[in-house]
Amino acid sequence: MISIKHLYKSYHGKSILYDIQLSVRRGSIMGLLGPNGAGKTTLISILTGIIEKDDGEITIGGLDLEREMGRIQSLCSYVPQTLAFYTRLSAFENLEYFGSLWGLKGKKLKERMAFCIDAGSMEAFVHKRVDTFSGGMKRRLNLAIGLLNEPDILYLDEPTVGVDAQSRNYILETIRKINRERGTTVIYTSHYMDEIEQVADEIAVIDEGRIVLHGSKQALLTHADAVLISVEPMTEAAVGVLRQRGGLQVKADNVHVERDERFNENMAAVFAVLHDHGVRVKDIVFGHRNLEALFLKLTSSRLRDDEGQNG
Amino acid sequence: MKLLYTLKKEFLLITRDIHAVTVLFIMPAVFIMIMSLAMRDLFELNNTVHIDVLAVNRDAGKKSGEFLKAIEELRTFKFHLLEKDVATEKVKEQMLSRDYKFALVIGENFSAIVEDIEKEEDQKPLALFVNPAVNLQTQMILTNALDGRLAKLRKDAFIDRIGEVLAAAGIDEKKLKAAEESRVEVQYVYKEARAAKVPSAVQQSVPAWLVFSMFFIVIPISNTFISERGQGTLMRLKSMNVSRVALIIGKMVPYLFVNAIQVILMIAIGVYAVPLLGGTPLTVGDSLGGLALIAASVSFSAISVALLIASLARTTEQATTIGGVLNIIFGALGGIMVPKFVMPGFMQEIAHLSPMSWGLEGFLDIFLRNGNVSDVLPESLSLLIFGTAMLICTMIALKKQREV
Repeated sequence: MISIKHLYKSYHGKSILYDIQLSVRRGSIMGLLGPNGAGKTTLISILTGIIEKDDGEITIGGLDLEREMGRIQSLCSYVPQTLAFYTRLSAFENLEYFGSLWGLKGKKLKERMAFCIDAGSMEAFVHKRVDTFSGGMKRRLNLAIGLLNEPDILYLDEPTVGVDAQSRNYILETIRKINRERGTTVIYTSHYMDEIEQVADEIAVIDEGRIVLHGSKQALLTHADAVLISVEPMTEAAVGVLRQRGGLQVKADNVHVERDERFNENMAAVFAVLHDHGVRVKDIVFGHRNLEALFLKLTSSRLRDDEGQNG
Repeated sequence: MKLLYTLKKEFLLITRDIHAVTVLFIMPAVFIMIMSLAMRDLFELNNTVHIDVLAVNRDAGKKSGEFLKAIEELRTFKFHLLEKDVATEKVKEQMLSRDYKFALVIGENFSAIVEDIEKEEDQKPLALFVNPAVNLQTQMILTNALDGRLAKLRKDAFIDRIGEVLAAAGIDEKKLKAAEESRVEVQYVYKEARAAKVPSAVQQSVPAWLVFSMFFIVIPISNTFISERGQGTLMRLKSMNVSRVALIIGKMVPYLFVNAIQVILMIAIGVYAVPLLGGTPLTVGDSLGGLALIAASVSFSAISVALLIASLARTTEQATTIGGVLNIIFGALGGIMVPKFVMPGFMQEIAHLSPMSWGLEGFLDIFLRNGNVSDVLPESLSLLIFGTAMLICTMIALKKQREV
């Protein structure tokens, strides 16, 4: 569906994207992960025609991005990280305006608006001004606007930033539903690893303008040399003791044990600590790798606060 | 369809923005009503505006009363008489403390001098004290009036004295006195033949404040544009294949309509609301084509300036400050706040640099001089060229911005 070959982009002499090679299958959900300033937003901005590439070849749905941008844009929809609509208008007025820009009118416009209102679960407040909405309601509207043109490809840039758990779950469900029912290809960027793990079929990790990892979620997260022990929430003391050992990735509700030369010793130590602190084991999965651990390993744990401007 | 919904969107955004409504509609409406009423008497024949003059009449005769009455009939000055024995120093003090512009002291020999034209005395019959805050022109109006009326009284007295001689020579004494009245005929000149119409305050204030308010379109345009950029809406529009040119046209067309509504509303206020408050009604002139052309040209120019400011500013605060200050400078220079005819020569030359001046002159051509399309063509062309230059700058500024 999307094929990117040798893509380059730089600003003011600074390389933002370097020799990007990436392909996305039709009908898949691809999670695009990367720290601040890695180049995620730049990559999506190029794919959506917001900015121009310096070099490289991109085809989308068999169409060349450079020559057939207009046709490609009519097949796609972009939901920015920011709340890209008019807060002094109602949700209904926003949908009507953006729908008209897609060339929708009359019965078709009404049908698409009805679909989007339903998809965003906005019936109760669709005629209220957006500046009265909660963060979750605004995020749902942001997504709903992106569905107006029945896109074949949906670009979602951090679609759940700043929302409550319920709205977040609803947005993820909606994305999965649209992907399942319409076969919409979704490119999804997020800082939330669990979201990507939950929703994506494919994962690409980008760092410092380069794709450092790309593959199916199953292939990436299945690792014969690891064991995931899911537990009931541990006390801070238990977590602290476990974190002192090497070869472990410890969270409050799970422990990841690498099958290295200390595997047996580590397994025994983990169970001893769990027993000593009265923690009940819920599940043990062999051959599972933790996405966050993988991400940090690939991108290093260096802070990137100052590099988010062109991300 | 896109245009219709774009128009609807922009109208909803403006009507829900209290600041925009205030600046675009309420501010000029209030200004027009206040200025039309405040300046009404300056332009009308039944002028009730006068300058108060403190006066002391020490004249032993009766001619001074006749003299003061004749001056007051000019409707420009009104005398406030003090007791005749007030000391001159006290008169000066009172002039300053009571904020009078002038104080006039009529000497006790006034009637004697009037009645005996051959009488020459060292002491002048009139002493005028002037507050330093008074400009020279106003001072000259009063001194000319005093000199003129005094001369006429003396001549009338002389004619009375030689009445018998004149009668014997067959000369009509009354005609001789009347010959001293002003022989200057004042006429207003319009670009086309028209029934005599005197310029009024409303004819001046409607175009001035209309042009001023049209340029304040910068407030809603920059508010919307900067929000669109900050919230990523422009990025979303760009990803929807909305080109930069379409974006600019999508801004221009709705705001041309908004400016058109301003024009209609402000004219309606001049025609219907000002008379209700005691002012004279606005007359629009005979050339609707000329009015439409100059209104569209002012609008194009104002929107172009607004778009440039909106594209350069990073925040709405920046845009409203720059836009507001620029408009006030344009207005002050362009004869909106201070009429150009009271400006000194070099300032009148500078005034021609302000696009508001071009717009104002165009509207005055239609409202005051009864001009037509060809009369407003020079101002319209200037505004259109200026607007086009601003639009080109806007396009260059937007091209440099990643998100637009």
